[in-house]
Amino acid sequence: MFKNYIKIAFRNLWKNRTFTALNVVGLTAAFGVAILLAMYAVFQLSFDRFHEHGDEIYQVYTEDSGLNGIEANISKSEPFAAALKDEVAGVEKITRYNGSGVLLTYQDKQLGMGTAYVDPDFFEMFSFPIVKGDTKNPIMSESSVVMTELAAKRIFGDEEPIGQTVSILRDEQQVPFTVTAIVEDFPNTSSMGFDIVLNFKSQNEHAYARTIGRWDMENHEVYMQLAESVQPKQFEKSTTDFTQLHYKNEIDNAKRDGFQPNADGLYRQLKLLPLADVRFANFNQGPVTVSRTMPYLVLGISILILFIACVNFINMSIAKSAQRLREIGMRKTLGANKKQLFFQFWGESILVFLISIGLGILLAVVLLPYFQTLFKTQASLATLLNPSLLLVLILSVLLITLIAGGYPALLMSRLGTLQSLKGKLDVNGKNHLRNSLMVLQFGIAILLISGTLVLWDQVEFMRTKDLGFNKDQVIAFPLNGQLNDQQAIELLRNTLQDKPNIVSVTASNNILGLGKDGSRSTSVLGFEHQGRGVETHMVVVDADYIETLDLNIIEGRSFRKNLASDSLSVIINEAMAKQMNEDDILASQIDLDDAVYSVVGVIKDFNFQELDQNIAPMTLFALPNWNLRNAYVKVSSQNLEQAYTDVKAAWNSIEPNAEFQGSFLNENIDRTLRHERTMITMIGSGSILAIILSCIGLFAMSLLIVAQRKKEIGVRKIVGASVSAITILLTKDFLKLVVIAFLIASPIAWWAMSKWLQNYAYRIELNIWIFLAAGGIAVLIAMLTIAVKTIKAATSNPVESLRTE
Amino acid sequence: MKNTLLSINEATRTVNSGSNKVTLLDTINFNVEEGEFISLMGPSGSGKSTLLNCIGMLDNFTDGGYTFLGEPVHSMKEKNRSKLYKEYIGFVFQAYHLIDELTVYENIETPLLYKNIKSSERKAMVADMLDRFNIVGKKDLFPIQLSGGQQQLVGIARALIGQPKLILADEPTGNLNSKQSEEIMELFAQLNKEGVIIIQATHSESNAAYGSRIINLLDGKIV
Repeated sequence: MFKNYIKIAFRNLWKNRTFTALNVVGLTAAFGVAILLAMYAVFQLSFDRFHEHGDEIYQVYTEDSGLNGIEANISKSEPFAAALKDEVAGVEKITRYNGSGVLLTYQDKQLGMGTAYVDPDFFEMFSFPIVKGDTKNPIMSESSVVMTELAAKRIFGDEEPIGQTVSILRDEQQVPFTVTAIVEDFPNTSSMGFDIVLNFKSQNEHAYARTIGRWDMENHEVYMQLAESVQPKQFEKSTTDFTQLHYKNEIDNAKRDGFQPNADGLYRQLKLLPLADVRFANFNQGPVTVSRTMPYLVLGISILILFIACVNFINMSIAKSAQRLREIGMRKTLGANKKQLFFQFWGESILVFLISIGLGILLAVVLLPYFQTLFKTQASLATLLNPSLLLVLILSVLLITLIAGGYPALLMSRLGTLQSLKGKLDVNGKNHLRNSLMVLQFGIAILLISGTLVLWDQVEFMRTKDLGFNKDQVIAFPLNGQLNDQQAIELLRNTLQDKPNIVSVTASNNILGLGKDGSRSTSVLGFEHQGRGVETHMVVVDADYIETLDLNIIEGRSFRKNLASDSLSVIINEAMAKQMNEDDILASQIDLDDAVYSVVGVIKDFNFQELDQNIAPMTLFALPNWNLRNAYVKVSSQNLEQAYTDVKAAWNSIEPNAEFQGSFLNENIDRTLRHERTMITMIGSGSILAIILSCIGLFAMSLLIVAQRKKEIGVRKIVGASVSAITILLTKDFLKLVVIAFLIASPIAWWAMSKWLQNYAYRIELNIWIFLAAGGIAVLIAMLTIAVKTIKAATSNPVESLRTE
Repeated sequence: MKNTLLSINEATRTVNSGSNKVTLLDTINFNVEEGEFISLMGPSGSGKSTLLNCIGMLDNFTDGGYTFLGEPVHSMKEKNRSKLYKEYIGFVFQAYHLIDELTVYENIETPLLYKNIKSSERKAMVADMLDRFNIVGKKDLFPIQLSGGQQQLVGIARALIGQPKLILADEPTGNLNSKQSEEIMELFAQLNKEGVIIIQATHSESNAAYGSRIINLLDGKIV
């Protein structure tokens, strides 16, 4: 029996090879892409899930009342962690965490190392298993270093790493450290990344020593493990006294300035962010928002694509069943019951699905490397190979085959014996289903196309927007060498001075956009001005900063060439001027604890942060001997490539051991749009696939409809219908579906996209043309798809089509 | 006294066509005994096929009684009815209705599959049948590769494989030439001699003559 089914299934599939091929191609593409997308989504969602105590670990942050409402703040001060553990019950373990890059030297090797500065509890809280060396307290000592297997391999090769001494550059001195332990290379689903781990106290003077005991200098993150019996909400409540005690000033000031308290009526509250949420948390817009939209969106797209392919399958199976009526009738006469017929037809579907899934997996494997490069992800198919996930996958595949294969099978097995023997099929009811499924297909395709267009529009807008500074002619790079920043800049200036294509050189402690090294930092300064609390971003710059970036001075002057004479001058942006609210801004002063600074100039606002944020108040300082971190070189607009090479050569001659990580500022801006670009590529390729699959379905339907209406077409032609009249007749019905799909999908797309655009302070205006374009693309492609078949049918000789009857 | 295979009492079949009620079979009464070979005759639309379908339980009378081997078919459930015809009735059609995707062998085998007969037994039964009809050499061909007469031969072989008591043949020779028709009718006569009851619907006087009894139908009534 079974053999008989298989045999007839194969023969049937072969007989209808056009349709089988269309189905297999469509389903294979859908399964292949769905597997890749699901893999990506699962990979993203599984970040930081490998820690054994993950459910009990939280990042500590505060909700502060500020000028612009509630602001979440993850930076903490040096005494904070220890005090919290001592004074509030429920803290099982706690560690401070600061990440940075250091220059490590071993014998004649110099390597840049990603470094995590942590407290000793770190290794007991997080699951970074120690495979060698001191497993108990590897970083108790301030001269211990723990490294990953990979880092040890890079430094020592095959030598035994434990007990070796390496030196690390700190405050311009080589400091020796002893390797005490090696940790296993952690999974690539870890959002904490490091090569080496050092004791928190091993940081440089600026980051640690000068902050000891100071509650007002916040420069690192704090993670804690909650005691198992304590609920996070309960813990947050119990920290009120702690906050009252240590942040009395801040709370009083907030009250004085009339800020709004948070939902619990507090002006500053400690909060816990679960470790698993850290990667998905956004601190840019006031309170923390945890959003897993991206992975779920990707998962959604994969489901939509599968859905479209399955709709094709269902529609084709039902339409093709008309040709098998006689077989169904005959089998019933020979004694087959409904169940047997159902299993026969379902079996055929399963066969198609099995082939497609097999090919789909193969396709996914083949496309995987491209996928990984395109989306810069380390997700691999192994991500999907965990037992419970595999079970879900298998169940969903079963469900899909049950619905997509089972529904047509059910319809066929239910047909009446005589009716099907006579070859009559009641088609009216089923056309509704077919039409609504096709509307849904094209609706999805239009939704994805318009999403892609809007996304692309917004990214182009952000990329090309005038940000208020010269981004095309300025090269920026991190000062990552051994020299101190002032020396390095001085040397750089001297080296580049006589080069004709170099316009000016400067430096600052912030970076515009995102540099090649991927590191960024901001300093926010709070002080009292005219009895109010005022906050400003603090940017320390070198000479020529304003000139190099072509910033516009709207009042006052720039810094003098002789920067030392301006060490007590500041230049502020318009937002800051507005916040200070002075009649004569140039006569005003900023009173910080250590000195009083005079405002000497006001610059026009420029977007020094990303475009999802409004321009914040900002103050430029010209402090001597400050950590400057980044150099900016403005070059002449001719031959930018040559200029880049010159700057690179200059840096290499100054710091032969350091890597030159320079890039033009417009590239830096581009780098900040990576997330958006990934989304465009995902949704864009999803929409292309969706429209292709929908068109495969449409094509198959047009084949069948033309075949079914062959006689009608012949008769119409004989009574005088023109070719165009018949083409329109055949095309009309399908186009109607696409238009309905457009009418349904556009409002949904509009709503979704305007919601997404809310994330950006600077955004495009949605206009109807984007959506009309999406609809137009769908209609055009649909028309081209059916044109081939319909025109052929319309031009064929009517005598021929009538003779076959 | 011969045993009665089936009896039909006051049976009527009507269908609704739009708002009109059309009577296809009008108060039919007749019995079929063991060993009979009945020819149903009448012009197109007289109800021959409908009557055959109703006897074969593919269709139902809308009114009246139908007893098959002493069991009341008219009050049976669909499931039991299909069990009954699977067991006792074989069908032969004018258009042969072979399954195009199956070979001659497989076509003949299909009814056995639905009766859940074991593989070895199936093989023996199909081989017997092929032998008997002299089509062993054609067992791996598909229906399209056969002539009309050969296809009908396969159709009859398929109807016989389940060893039915009754064969219902609806214009079995309608698509065949006279020589082929004659062969098929000879075959039916032979089968009837071996004890199979046959009811055939036909237009042709000469074919009807093979039967032991002729029933004439006109506008759904026996005349």
